[in-house]
Amino acid sequence: MSPSLYVPGDGPLHRLPAGAKLAALAGLGIALFLVSSPIVLGAAALAAAGVVAATGVRLARMRGALAGIAIVVAIVVAANAWLVGWREAAASGARIVALVLLGYALTLTTRMSDLLATLERLLAPLERIGLADAGKVALAVALVLRFVPELMKQADDIREARAARGLRVGPVALVVPMIVRVLRSADAIAEAIDARAYPPAETDSSRHGPGSADHDNA
Amino acid sequence: MSIVLNHVSVTLQERPVLRGIDLVLGERRIGIVGLNGSGKSTLARLLNGLVLPDEGTVRVEGLDTRAETRAVRRAVGFVFQNPENQIVFPIVGEDVAFGLRNIGFSKRDAQARALAALAEHGLDGLADRPAHTLSGGEKQMLALVSVLVMEPRIVVLDEPTTALDLRNRNRIRDAIAGLAQTAIVVTHDLELVSGFERVLVVDEGRIVADDAPEPALRWYRENRA
Repeated sequence: MSPSLYVPGDGPLHRLPAGAKLAALAGLGIALFLVSSPIVLGAAALAAAGVVAATGVRLARMRGALAGIAIVVAIVVAANAWLVGWREAAASGARIVALVLLGYALTLTTRMSDLLATLERLLAPLERIGLADAGKVALAVALVLRFVPELMKQADDIREARAARGLRVGPVALVVPMIVRVLRSADAIAEAIDARAYPPAETDSSRHGPGSADHDNA
Repeated sequence: MSIVLNHVSVTLQERPVLRGIDLVLGERRIGIVGLNGSGKSTLARLLNGLVLPDEGTVRVEGLDTRAETRAVRRAVGFVFQNPENQIVFPIVGEDVAFGLRNIGFSKRDAQARALAALAEHGLDGLADRPAHTLSGGEKQMLALVSVLVMEPRIVVLDEPTTALDLRNRNRIRDAIAGLAQTAIVVTHDLELVSGFERVLVVDEGRIVADDAPEPALRWYRENRA
């Protein structure tokens, strides 16, 4: 999904802390996998649609994303119906709809920075025992999201460039130049991150800005 | 403010890009011009420690770019040629706050300063916008604001007006003219540097002209046009 989903607002879902929303999403996600009744899961999907409606975001703004979700769900339901039957297909379709809509409501109402800060807090225990660097993981997640629209644009550019020369766009014709471009972009972004003084300076919690010794450019 | 390059040479991919450069940069507005592949962008990158010299030293206010890279990057902000490559975070406000977080500002202070900086440079109201939806001019301004918000003493800009339309080019020119900091600008836009204090012409890895804008640009037009 695009990282552009956040829509500013001041409704109850916007005001809820990111950690609480993530915890609720995780809990409800687990619960949805413990239920197999298509009727209960269908009700859950309707409730999730209600949660999305409660974000206060206009339907017109969500149309593109919802269309994408509908296509994915249709493919999953059709495949399941063919492989395991309609009852299971209905259950899995309703489960996916409920989960994706809840995740969509989360991203509509939560700033990326708040999600990343929550992710950093969740990873802090792993950092203390040396299993993860929370800041680096958060930055990596941000970069993945940042690259999504760029990758889509690059794919469009390659398609257009080939179409302009009357060529078809097969998977290889698309993937090879994409890999080259992505590697180039990755180098450039790494340089930009370096230029902006990454990794962060060591700070203590009482500090609200760089120390005076290091900030003498007034 | 002074930057001293002492007999600096750089080789990239076995190709000599800069050869024996000696410079003392002390003026508030310095332009760097030259043909494509002349080495001017590499010269700019030396000033922020993005490229380190293979021979010689680069010192920014006495700080060696090799030994004190972090402090050098606090002192020298770098605006890249392609703003797409400078935007790290997907949301405008978060991208501006990123550098501030790196230099020790709390999250709240970084966000407040980011909002103030965006407003100061005419990008107010864009803090929550996905960066990829901005226009080319807005992206270039965002790249500049993301650097300026860190309050560097020197700003290096690598071809900041390339690929911009007339209105956005003027906007960036005005922003550069209004900078309180020292600005070193690599550019093909000769008009941009015509009002500067000093212009360097780089050719095949050497400084071939170093003068006030009028004689330096005349040399460039007459010998490399």
